[in-house]
Amino acid sequence: CLCCFLRPGATGQGHATPAVCSPSCSCDEDGGADCSARGLTTVPTGLSAFTYYLDLSMNNITELPAFIFKNFPYLEELRLAGNDLSFIHPEALSGLHQLKVLMLQNNQLKTVPSAALKNLHSLQSLRLDANHITTVPEDSFEGLQQLRHLWLDDNNLTEVPVGSLRHQANLQALTLALNRISYIPDNAFANLTSLVVLHLHNNRIKEIGENCFSGLVNLETLDLNFNNLMVFPKAIEALPKLKELGFHSNDIASIPEGAFHNNPLLRTIHLYDNPLSSVGASAFQNLSDLHSLMLRGASMMKDFPILTSTNNLESLTLSGTKISTIPANLCEDLKLLRTLDLSYNEIEALPSLQGCVRLQEISFQHNHIQQIDRHTFQGLSALRLLDLSRNEIRVIDRDAFLTLSALSNLDLSMNSLTVIPTSGLSALSQLKLSGNPQMKNVLPAKTLPKLRSISVPYAYQCCAFVGCDSMASSSEESDMKKSTGGEDVERISMIMHCSPSPGAFKPCEHLLGNWM
Amino acid sequence: HKPISSVSSGCQQGGCLTCSDYNGCLSCKPRFFMHLERIGMKQIGVCMTSCPPGFYGTRSPERNTCTKCRSECDSCFNKNFCTRCRAGFYLHLGKCQENCPEGLVRSDTQRECVS
Repeated sequence: CLCCFLRPGATGQGHATPAVCSPSCSCDEDGGADCSARGLTTVPTGLSAFTYYLDLSMNNITELPAFIFKNFPYLEELRLAGNDLSFIHPEALSGLHQLKVLMLQNNQLKTVPSAALKNLHSLQSLRLDANHITTVPEDSFEGLQQLRHLWLDDNNLTEVPVGSLRHQANLQALTLALNRISYIPDNAFANLTSLVVLHLHNNRIKEIGENCFSGLVNLETLDLNFNNLMVFPKAIEALPKLKELGFHSNDIASIPEGAFHNNPLLRTIHLYDNPLSSVGASAFQNLSDLHSLMLRGASMMKDFPILTSTNNLESLTLSGTKISTIPANLCEDLKLLRTLDLSYNEIEALPSLQGCVRLQEISFQHNHIQQIDRHTFQGLSALRLLDLSRNEIRVIDRDAFLTLSALSNLDLSMNSLTVIPTSGLSALSQLKLSGNPQMKNVLPAKTLPKLRSISVPYAYQCCAFVGCDSMASSSEESDMKKSTGGEDVERISMIMHCSPSPGAFKPCEHLLGNWM
Repeated sequence: HKPISSVSSGCQQGGCLTCSDYNGCLSCKPRFFMHLERIGMKQIGVCMTSCPPGFYGTRSPERNTCTKCRSECDSCFNKNFCTRCRAGFYLHLGKCQENCPEGLVRSDTQRECVS
């Protein structure tokens, strides 16, 4: 029959009769009533008994007396957020047998109104966030067998409400974030076998039991960010289905060997803003779903992490360590790598990165690299950005850039170069060469047709790119004319930026080197 | 459920801390979520106690923000955990899928996988 598919009370006869409503609200024909932000101090009268959605948020209802909702047996969603509610009578919610969603956030509750919640057997989502709850009585959620989503964040809890959670086998998502929890005891969440998401960020968690996450066999997201953990949370070993893990902004100094050996499904690990000094070489092994790994400032780390079978990595950042060598077979595992940042380490030589064919951005800035071989970047046709600045590079093989057809940004500044090969750099738009004092030759502008910005060791070298007025007739100047081709000078100088730009005190003549 | 009328924009809202008549709330009182509603070319800041349908709230000491759920979710707990699916999708353990795992069947009225 038609009406079975309609919500009780909805007309369904094709013509809209005005919904029964209160003057303080606006109602729709489906049984929805919006009475929010009307300055109400109690539940308005005159609403339909078939109301299934009632929004009373942002009013001035400070108390809920007994049986206040007795006329709404079909209510499924009740919003009472932002009302300065401080007291809920144990019988206030009586009769709401079909209630699925109850929103009590942004009120003044100091404890969980456990008596009032007792008979809400259909309740799935309960919001108690942004109150002043300091205690969660053991029987708080006893009658709520269908509870799936529980918000207790932004309250004043000083411990995990272990007792009240003990019977919540159907709970799937829980947030205890923004409280004052300092310790997680063993078996704190032991019976929460359906829990998928657990947020504990922005607490004061300093220590956790080694078995504190036991029982969370379905947990996929664990957020421990912004706490005071000093030791790596070894308890994650109990989480075989973990996919998202966050413990950034803590006080963790080292990541042990095999740290994630029991978490093979990990996709993201956020661990930045920890005073990391050492990282176990095998910590990130066999994480075939890991997409990005960012480790900064692990200052005592010497060994490049073993990444065998971590073969879906797209972004790898390892900077500020004592790593001096890169494994020769790096690209055998990391075929999908798109960005590689190994800046601020102690790397002396580069292996061939030939297998990392999807690489788009590479930074080896601030290492001890001395030469670039023919095979180092061979085949990287997707590479757009290459930063080799602040090394000790003296020699670059003539064909080193031959296959870099997409390279647009090359930084070779602050090295020990005398010459650079330009074959293969036809797409280059930005080139940095400053800080190579031995590089005095005139640069072949013609081989860099797309160049738009260049920094060079000496001002006179800019004349090949920006067409200077006071061109002297010295032999080097005539080379410049040949290399730029007279007619191109006007076009290039219009769109090209070159520094240091020649001028009155930095003429185009190569006088005493760059003395300004 | 789509709210019948969203919270009034402009400066009259209860959750606003600073506001402008043109852009509504510029900042919110503590514990309110800031949400940017697009009205034509304009963006109006709205301060809410819960984010609108299709968005989830993230609380932090500095500010509380609304972020869009995944496209297949009508409502969600966080980026990767849906609490209600869009039509044509069925909810199971926080995921909205077009098909249900073995042993469960699709319920169109609840948009869930049920036993």
